[in-house]
Amino acid sequence: MKILVLNCGSSSLKYKLFDMKQELVLADGKVERIGEEDGIITHQTVGKEKVSKTMPIPEHATAISECLSLLTDPEHGAINSLDEISGIGHRVLHGGEYFKQSTLIDDTVLQQLEDLRELGPLHMPPNILGIRSCQKLMPSKPQVAVFDTAFHATMPKHAYLYAIPYELYQRHRIRRYGFHGTSHNYIALRVAKLMNRDLADLKIISCHLGNGASLAAIDGGKSVDTTMGFTPLEGLMMGTRSGDIDPSVLEFIADKEDVPLKNMINMLNKHSGLYGIAGVSDMRDIIQGVEEQKPMHTLAYEMYEYRIRKYIGSYIAAMNGVDAIAFTAGIGENTPCLRKKICENLSYFGIAIDNESNQQRGEYELSTPDSKIKVFVIPTDEEIMIAKDTLALINE
Amino acid sequence: MEIRKIAILGSGRLGRGIAEIAATKGYNVTLFTQGAGSQNAPHRIEQSLNRKVAKWAMTETQKRVILNRINYTADLKELTNADLVIEATIDHLYTKQELLRTADRLCRPEVIFILTSATLPVYEIARSLTRSNLLVGARFIPPVVDVGVVELSYSPDTDKNAVEVVKKFIARLGKQAVRVHEAAGLVNPRALVTLINEAAYLLDEGSASADAIETIIKGSWGMEQGPFEMADRMGIDIILDWMEQLQKRYGDRYKPAPIIYRLVRQGKLGVKTKQGFFSYNEDGQRIDQPGQGQEDN
Repeated sequence: MKILVLNCGSSSLKYKLFDMKQELVLADGKVERIGEEDGIITHQTVGKEKVSKTMPIPEHATAISECLSLLTDPEHGAINSLDEISGIGHRVLHGGEYFKQSTLIDDTVLQQLEDLRELGPLHMPPNILGIRSCQKLMPSKPQVAVFDTAFHATMPKHAYLYAIPYELYQRHRIRRYGFHGTSHNYIALRVAKLMNRDLADLKIISCHLGNGASLAAIDGGKSVDTTMGFTPLEGLMMGTRSGDIDPSVLEFIADKEDVPLKNMINMLNKHSGLYGIAGVSDMRDIIQGVEEQKPMHTLAYEMYEYRIRKYIGSYIAAMNGVDAIAFTAGIGENTPCLRKKICENLSYFGIAIDNESNQQRGEYELSTPDSKIKVFVIPTDEEIMIAKDTLALINE
Repeated sequence: MEIRKIAILGSGRLGRGIAEIAATKGYNVTLFTQGAGSQNAPHRIEQSLNRKVAKWAMTETQKRVILNRINYTADLKELTNADLVIEATIDHLYTKQELLRTADRLCRPEVIFILTSATLPVYEIARSLTRSNLLVGARFIPPVVDVGVVELSYSPDTDKNAVEVVKKFIARLGKQAVRVHEAAGLVNPRALVTLINEAAYLLDEGSASADAIETIIKGSWGMEQGPFEMADRMGIDIILDWMEQLQKRYGDRYKPAPIIYRLVRQGKLGVKTKQGFFSYNEDGQRIDQPGQGQEDN
């Protein structure tokens, strides 16, 4: 059984083809600059040469049909014909309150996804376009939507509600949804495996630190809280996002600087976070600045670390304990000094890490044998989770 | 046909505004720069985007992407590549007719033309074109980037599909197309000149200072700009031209207040001459203090 996993962004498409017998990647690639004359496609079938080409990619449908023709290309492809693909899994940003788990896509589901557009105005339209394009190109293939929000559907009401007039929740479903769910779910499963324990008995804090960043408190395999909220803007400080902020600041700035509210939201999403403080959004540049003792880089780094640590502390309180903390995604996997700083500042809880282990790459434990809380680095793999869910639903 | 390349004829305030919003929404734009003030178009558009970056509406990277989508040329031959043509020149029947006839010859036969005129009805321009059924009226309202409505007008002979294409285009720019029946002055321009004219009469009669009139009207209806600033930004000569055209068609209720003639005669045309009802700096920002402004009565 072969499953194709697609992640359609506003101007990009990432894809991975899996052979589900051994859960192996057969090929992967990406299409960038969709909508432009000079779109870029890069593709690699495992064991073959990487190919890339530049061509006009007017729309998502073109991107997907290029991806399909590369997958079946006699020279660069991984399969002989599209018939070998059993199903397609789509990463979808928002499942709202409709979708608490992955789902097979039919007309009703598609309509519900359309209804959810306004909850993810940047991501939902391309997600939906990707699904519709696949329906046109491969009408007979079953398609599955896997939601970034679904894993957090288990959050209790006291955690997901905002303390604002309740009728706003009733009228518009305004609440905390949380994101990166597929990644947090994967991390929880891997932690249980690495600890050789039953997931149901574990309290885990998963730290997904990438361009966007969120923490999840996972008790017995279920998300009980997460830092992102109604949108991915809430919670931690991120590359260009502010994370938590007192909303009164918005009106005050709008008034002082004479800017409309929509600019304020754009400011919080694109001009804030590490970028807002240090002028660079990439953690590698921040770390370099810290090494060169640049004051604003150091400040941004300290703010970033502090916010994560504060949330870890609050999630230990939320779950009344923790067995393991795991770091993942670009920054989480590749920034040993950040992990070290966070863990050292949490020594009160009996966390101790091994500095040598902390420098390794890949999946490993970095806590010392006597550490009261296990600490891991686990490269995330959202695609395999999407492929597994897709396969399971097709087989049902 | 997928619309990707937009040609905009005229690089005044309206043309630049449409170019900016179209490029922001991902279209490739060719802005035809002919006539007065057009040399400045690239600079003015960049300035406008710089203001947006400074106010956090977009990032520096987004700005560069948008600027890269706009090409400037004075060579009408480049119309041969266009998927959609938008006419945004001054409201002179013969100027528009001549320019659009040239475009008519150069463009592919299926290409739709948009007329943005405030005072000239679609049918009058359409008559002179071979693609008379592919001319659709869409009155974009300055400041184009910020105003969310567009007045859509067309004649009974206009191709229905062309109307749909234009509606879709307007929607992709994030604006609402509102159908109006063809009549000189449409809705916004007629209401606007009436408001400006009434404010100008108030000033002429010495009822209040320009700033007082501006402040009361702005404050009463929650407007971003009052009538005098709107006139200064549109160009008082253009407002006078509209008033005279509307006066010819509808009678003396559009008769311009004397101060409007005086300002035009004195060359105080608004932002473009840095003097109009109010004073402006190089960047088009109002520089007179509250309480000041045109007291010419």
